[in-house]
Amino acid sequence: MQDVSFDVPEGAVFGILGPNGSGKTTLLGIVMDVLIASAGTYTWFGNPPSENQRREIGTLLETPNFYHYLSAQHNLEIAALIKHKPVDDIERVLKLVRLYERKDSKFQTYSLGMKQRLAIASCLLGDPAVLVFDEPTNGLDPSGIAEIRQLIIDLAAGGKTIILASHLLAEVEKVCTHVAILQQGLLIKSGDVLSTLNQESWLELGSADMAGLKEILDHLPQVKNIVRAGNHFQVYFSERIPEPEWINRHCFEHHIVLNFLQVMKRSLESVFIELTHNVSN
Amino acid sequence: MNDLLHTLRVEWLKLKYYRTFWVLLIIITACIPAFNYVIYDITDNSFPKINGQNILGNPFSFPHVWLTVPFNSGLLMFIPAILIITLFTNEYSYRTHRQNVIDGWSRWRFIRIKMIEVFLLNLFVTGIVVLTCLCFGFITKTPVQSKPGWDQYRFILFFYVEILDYSLIAVLIAMLIKRAGLALGVFFLYMIIEQFVVSLCRNKFKQEWVDYLPQEVSDRLIPQPFARRILAPGNYALWEKHIPLYLSIAALYIIIYILFISWRFRKSDL
Repeated sequence: MQDVSFDVPEGAVFGILGPNGSGKTTLLGIVMDVLIASAGTYTWFGNPPSENQRREIGTLLETPNFYHYLSAQHNLEIAALIKHKPVDDIERVLKLVRLYERKDSKFQTYSLGMKQRLAIASCLLGDPAVLVFDEPTNGLDPSGIAEIRQLIIDLAAGGKTIILASHLLAEVEKVCTHVAILQQGLLIKSGDVLSTLNQESWLELGSADMAGLKEILDHLPQVKNIVRAGNHFQVYFSERIPEPEWINRHCFEHHIVLNFLQVMKRSLESVFIELTHNVSN
Repeated sequence: MNDLLHTLRVEWLKLKYYRTFWVLLIIITACIPAFNYVIYDITDNSFPKINGQNILGNPFSFPHVWLTVPFNSGLLMFIPAILIITLFTNEYSYRTHRQNVIDGWSRWRFIRIKMIEVFLLNLFVTGIVVLTCLCFGFITKTPVQSKPGWDQYRFILFFYVEILDYSLIAVLIAMLIKRAGLALGVFFLYMIIEQFVVSLCRNKFKQEWVDYLPQEVSDRLIPQPFARRILAPGNYALWEKHIPLYLSIAALYIIIYILFISWRFRKSDL
């Protein structure tokens, strides 16, 4: 890694994006003290790192790491003792990830998804203010992915600061307020999602009278470009796109009835590919 | 102190429900008296008796038992080493050494408690050796020749130093290799190679420096007990003279192992 520097604001859901091998896990490994950096510094809660601070952070790094011969309950007892958190909290976190009924089963009998959910339960022990999730939906089925995504949204709504490393863009797009994009160990961009990703938006409009619609749109000063795409127009604006309600009313007042109206946003995937492609070149 | 007890409690939770730990502990507990009994049986029945007295004397009676049992038990050093390698490599294969640090232990805390675990396990094994000495001493029912003193008891301390030396070699190998099977293989290979080098250099080329190799120097703390009557008394006097040197070098090895293991764990990627 080289010259990677950013701040994670309190209460943010901070996505660390990057293709496989870009350094996401390495970065998190360094700040969790399992990897030694040759240079550089970091702070947690504004202070130099220490074991006490790590106890206040729930972390899932790469894979769920537990003693295979122990049950979920005993594994979480070890985690709770290390974190200096009450053992009574185990019941709550196991219920939250739907593993309470299997609490006495050995870890080695768990499926990959269950192991991942147990790791998330361990992170939630003691209700920490900061959570670090590295690929948290790995090995989960679609409903499991949706559940974890909802859990992250709920945790963020509760004021938690969440650092989420993932190469699944849809996952990040749905939950993150801030992002940092890494490639080959370099930080390409970081900041809040809107300004960092600059996801361009446009409107798609259609009408029985396409010529009339075109004429109205041509007279709108904020329209930058109009492209015909089949039986509708893609309309690009020089500034923020107008409210769909306003454009609908405006067309109707000019005797044009819309039969198609859709707000479009450039996918995070295409923004990401463009950003990482530029760096590769 | 509370902090140490808290950390020990976590280690105890890891061991409490680990069947392999208990099985190996039972094997150690059973093998020490059983193996000594086999040797006792051989010495009692396989050697000629002169005037009703065994040619080897009474190696299992007080006070000689304090040397005989630690010497015999030293041949079983590999069993605690197997347990130690298993416990250490488990942490690497489950990647829990990494998780313990992520969850809030410092690297120093992790490696310190592992060392304490090794010290305690070796204390337990030494305790079994002491009990075995007492059992054989009382069972053989031979009259006590002299009041036992430091000359006899010191072999218990030497046994502890020897087992600690072997255990820390096991820890070092487990830490560097990280895989149980391979680490055990390297450990046994190392034991055999060192003994081979010692035999070859000592007897063939008359090299004395091999006496100070890691295993050999700790082995030399407990001399072979059965040939007291056969060997010239001068050999024992020479051994007695060398004890402080053997003990110092063995202790030095132990300190070096501890420092290197701690340094390596604290300074490398987990």
